[in-house]
Amino acid sequence: MSGQGTAVVLAANAVSAMTPLLLAALGGLFSELSGTLNIALEGLMLTGAFFGAAAASATGSIFLGMAGGSLAAAILAWAYGSATLRLKANPFITGIAANIFASGSAVLLSRRLFGTGSVVTFALKAVSKPLEPALGGIPILGAVLFGQTWIVHASWLAAILSWVLIARTPFGARLRATGANAEAVSAAGFSPDRYRLAAIVISGILAGAAGASLSLPLAAYVPNMSSGRGWIALVAVYLGFRKPWGIALACFIFALAEAYSNYAQGFLGLPPEFILAIPFAASLLALVVGTVAGKVGAGRAGKSVG
Amino acid sequence: MLARNTDRLKILAFTLGSAALASCLLLLASAPDFAAALGQFFIAPIANSYYFGNLLAGMGPLIMAGLGVAVAFASRNFNLGGEGQVYSGGLAAALIPLAFGGSSPWVAVLAFAGAALTGGLLGASSGFLKRRLGIDELISSFLVSAVAVLSVDYLIAGPFRDGTSNFQATTPIASGLAFAKLFPPSSLNGGIFIALAAAGLGKFLFDKTRFGFELKLCGANREFAAYSGIDSGFYTTAPMALSGALHGLAGALLVFGSYGAAMKGFSAGTGWNAIAVALLARNDPAALIPAAFFYSYLQAGAQSVQMGSNISSEIMAVIQAVILLFVTAGALPFRMRGKGTRR
Repeated sequence: MSGQGTAVVLAANAVSAMTPLLLAALGGLFSELSGTLNIALEGLMLTGAFFGAAAASATGSIFLGMAGGSLAAAILAWAYGSATLRLKANPFITGIAANIFASGSAVLLSRRLFGTGSVVTFALKAVSKPLEPALGGIPILGAVLFGQTWIVHASWLAAILSWVLIARTPFGARLRATGANAEAVSAAGFSPDRYRLAAIVISGILAGAAGASLSLPLAAYVPNMSSGRGWIALVAVYLGFRKPWGIALACFIFALAEAYSNYAQGFLGLPPEFILAIPFAASLLALVVGTVAGKVGAGRAGKSVG
Repeated sequence: MLARNTDRLKILAFTLGSAALASCLLLLASAPDFAAALGQFFIAPIANSYYFGNLLAGMGPLIMAGLGVAVAFASRNFNLGGEGQVYSGGLAAALIPLAFGGSSPWVAVLAFAGAALTGGLLGASSGFLKRRLGIDELISSFLVSAVAVLSVDYLIAGPFRDGTSNFQATTPIASGLAFAKLFPPSSLNGGIFIALAAAGLGKFLFDKTRFGFELKLCGANREFAAYSGIDSGFYTTAPMALSGALHGLAGALLVFGSYGAAMKGFSAGTGWNAIAVALLARNDPAALIPAAFFYSYLQAGAQSVQMGSNISSEIMAVIQAVILLFVTAGALPFRMRGKGTRR
């Protein structure tokens, strides 16, 4: 394979691997802006992956699979978010609860629905690549940007819509105000808790789609298949300066590292455990470098939930 | 103050009741014979000597790691890397006796020191990053731990694997070194006494020393602590390091007590379970003992019902989630960014 060919394949793989990270990180962004770091992203993703697989295997539709994954994660997010707010519980501890519940309940339900607590495969057509016929012929960009599935393109649309919602609507302004100064939001006659809950539910919708975007292209559900991406997405929120475009860039860099380590595994002969550790080590390193160089601000932002 | 304590008791009762109710509902939904499963879950752990021994054995690592969580939480630091600290500390404890050979008690002391040092360094790294760069310790400790878990996986399955065994595990430590089994065939062992002593020491440290006082003051109100002349940066690095060290010791207890070697995945969620135990105990070292008993009771129940009636062990995960969902209700373990602690 020529050097340029390899680079194109790597970039295309990175663009595709970026999708679950981007969707989850956008979800994390809404919650972060409302004042709470959403450490349940990992569990919400896993719920999305499982219910996405369940819905797609039942209906045969990839679209309904995505919708099912999003809906299930949104319900989990609503349940844990409203319990946290109503009980004035510690959001980090209830977030851990949501993560543990997600992985436990997925195994329990998997045994019920599929008769196994292990890998579930099902028949599903390949996800379509709507732009490939028209634009796939463009040199380099065609393969990298347009030879992708509609789920990948939908994630870009989600980033644009998130930006519009956050930066250009009254809802977004109040959401940001909730994180920056909840008392002012109350004083203006709005309920900060409603915006916090809305942010958590939006987190759920997006993280659920992120999970489904893992299981549906594979036509398989693998236990714990989110494998830490929810945590890496949280790092991407910080590294992306809490802005959708920055987050997209951070996610692309992480995805490029992931694609490269998968590719390099062949000739570097690294043990698989190290390949799996690379995303965590890379995001830790990026967090340190980013903080030292650019004052990314990786402390917990915003004000109290409790 | 009195009213507040009754509120806390109410919340605790509510949490424990919800956990018990969730267990019943899960058994009702999944067990073929509900009454029998109920007996296996709630009665067998205390009526059957084998399960009761395992129940008590399970308490040791939970108390030790729970103390680690409490040290961090009491100073308002979030250590989410417990799992990796337990796992890598346990590996150090399993390897040191192999390097020195023999079964002198000093080898055991060295192994425990190595476990504490390994876990302590992992914890301290996140404390350092928070103090120097302001990086959220909650995220950094998780990331460090994730790398540690995968690295230990590799070391156990690769370079340090015992070639003569079918398991992915290190060579067993000398049988004279491992803690004596007190109640065979259950896994109850002498390690429980080390954990109880640690809880006692922790109680002393928290309530009777300057370190404990300043640590809790930093947890309650960091700004006020700083105004009072306390080096609040020290109470970020030190509690994280101590927390990691105690998690490492919990790993050593698992290796010297239950397994006799480091097997792949032996930490089995101890770091996460310890969070639930520490929260049930409200970060009080003495209360860790009943909290660990209760938690271990549920685990033994889940183990017994799983053996008896083909129900998957994931019910424990759901019960744990219920506990964590309610345990911090109303009164937070520390008032994170509450009214008095605005930054």
